[in-house]
Amino acid sequence: MPEHTLEFGKYGARGVRGSEAVFRRLDDLAGFIVSPVDSRRGLLARLHYLTRTDHARAAARAAGLTVTDRTLKAWLDGRQRPTARNLQRIEDAYRTVRRHNVAQHLLRRLNSRGGTRVELHPLNQSQVPRPRQRVLEYRSLNIRRWDRIVQAWSTGDTGALDDAWVDQIVDLGSQWGQYEYVTNVGFAA
Amino acid sequence: MSDPKRNPGYEAVDALLAAAVEPEPLPPVEQRRTLRESLGLSRAQVAAALGVGPSTVGGWENGRDPAGEVRGQYAYFLDAARTKLADRSPQPRPCVLCGGPATEEIEGFPQHLDPQECARAAAPQEPEPEPVRPAPEAQPEPEPEPEPLPKTKTPAPTRTAPARTPTPTPVRSRPPGQSAPEAALIGRAVEQALAEHQGDVEAATAQLVRRAIPDAMALLDACRTGGRYDVIAHPWVPDILRKQSSRGSDSIWEARPKWTRPELPPGAHEVTALDINGAYLSALKTHLPIGQLEHSSGFGHDRRRAGVHLITPPDWHHDPYLPNPLGNRDEPGPLWVTEPTLRLLLRLAGPKYGLCEPPEIHESFTSGATENLLEKFRTALRDAREQAIQADDETTVEYVKAMYAKFVSTMGESNYNRELYRPDWMHLIRSQAFANLWMKAHRAHEQGLSVVRVMGTDELHVTGDWRRVFDEGRGVLEVKVKDVYTVGSDDAAGLTEELPDA
Repeated sequence: MPEHTLEFGKYGARGVRGSEAVFRRLDDLAGFIVSPVDSRRGLLARLHYLTRTDHARAAARAAGLTVTDRTLKAWLDGRQRPTARNLQRIEDAYRTVRRHNVAQHLLRRLNSRGGTRVELHPLNQSQVPRPRQRVLEYRSLNIRRWDRIVQAWSTGDTGALDDAWVDQIVDLGSQWGQYEYVTNVGFAA
Repeated sequence: MSDPKRNPGYEAVDALLAAAVEPEPLPPVEQRRTLRESLGLSRAQVAAALGVGPSTVGGWENGRDPAGEVRGQYAYFLDAARTKLADRSPQPRPCVLCGGPATEEIEGFPQHLDPQECARAAAPQEPEPEPVRPAPEAQPEPEPEPEPLPKTKTPAPTRTAPARTPTPTPVRSRPPGQSAPEAALIGRAVEQALAEHQGDVEAATAQLVRRAIPDAMALLDACRTGGRYDVIAHPWVPDILRKQSSRGSDSIWEARPKWTRPELPPGAHEVTALDINGAYLSALKTHLPIGQLEHSSGFGHDRRRAGVHLITPPDWHHDPYLPNPLGNRDEPGPLWVTEPTLRLLLRLAGPKYGLCEPPEIHESFTSGATENLLEKFRTALRDAREQAIQADDETTVEYVKAMYAKFVSTMGESNYNRELYRPDWMHLIRSQAFANLWMKAHRAHEQGLSVVRVMGTDELHVTGDWRRVFDEGRGVLEVKVKDVYTVGSDDAAGLTEELPDA
């Protein structure tokens, strides 16, 4: 598509890809455990989340936390501390499982009552030379079907999320390419 | 050259001069269209009669003047139109602007053509609630100058009296909360809750308070229909407005007052603790940034923008009798303050107050601002509150209170209200409440009361005859007494009766 931005930031524009902002926003709405994983409190909270039921254990294993039950028990009892690499694995597994668990509730809320209104805040061009600046307005649009977006987010598939997102913002009209990169995407659920 | 009259060329000039008549006087531009429309004639009809195009007539009605022969015809038409209208003896109808009787109309809406006439028409309308007043007295004000247009003038009182029998309703001051569709939302919610709980007031109130946040958001949406600005709910937010941790706070200083007078003159003083009604409700009227905050530095203060500012506050030398408008800050040095605090400081540094030096602004995050963003919302809540107080309806009072209080406290990064992520607005509204309280303390001080304590959002402790300064009641412009207590002792001789000036 000709509207795609090829060399973003060549003239000093600043912003993030719209799909990335959506990913972050959905993460905000999902509400992860706030304490960091390298604190004892944060680690225990994550481990409890991942080991509460057999179902959760299976999901954690599927999400890449492939350690033995014995190691998990040692971590939970505090007899052993996970290595840095395992801490990262715990964090990744926790986020994946949490996203997967929250997805269907989030999707129901986003799709309810005729969809959700999304605010698009244009990219920051304060560092762009004046002749290259263009008029960018704050835009908003209503997205009725969030299925593809939430599905891509819950599996962590950024490429699919980007495709799904671009398919939605094409509805902005012929100038949708100006909103491929934004400072913020806002919506509530 | 000795006798110019001989020359036929000069004679031609003379003839030309004799033919050039004074241009016909025309009524002012704004009346031309009114005159034509009051006769029910279209531009095309008039244009056909005068032998010009309709757009030419339109031009004459919008500032251009006809020239030549057609000018005379047009002036004749306007003059005749005016005479004909005067003969019709127009029935005065309520003016849409002021409610007074008006004979003119524009596009079908009866109204006065001149704001002065509105003022004049409104003046005799004031004493209307007193029915005993005889009619001739109803217009005692002598007209300061002769009417320029006798036919468009407000009719004499003898004629207006019968014409006004259907009392014209002034548009501006509608009865509180009645005709506003937003206010109906509040009334309906209360009715529903009471019906659901079979009139159990406590249960209904509890339910209403629980659903106050979504209801406030629905009310805000209803109030924004037809609004000029969008409520932008999820802008990018600079780091200074982000909480450092989930329980922590951000870097904005809201200037919450917490001040007690260091010492009172010797003797016993009766202190009255006053409570400002609906402090946050009134504070909804403040300059709110509309869009995303943008960074700027070193440009001074722009009155058309609002946001947060990094300032070095001025020194404050009035602490013995007036609180510091910045609240009690322990650390020195620059700090991030909000728009209301900055405006208060700038105001106090101005020539009228002259209480401190102007603050030094280092950098700002601002956006274009308006005071009217939440104005309809505020008015709807205020009217509902007033009406409920009059009707002694505590359920609605509690509901309205929960609505505005929770609206303000959750409009930031709260998980209880995800529809609105405006931590900047939350800080600004709170600071506005504190600034309003500071101004009230200053007013009390100016009027000779001693301010003893200024606390939180709405607490003001004073000594002296405060009823002279504040009205007591439950309205948003009034104060209520929370407590009366005595400080000091009578040991110091003679000073007990007189309350000293600060």
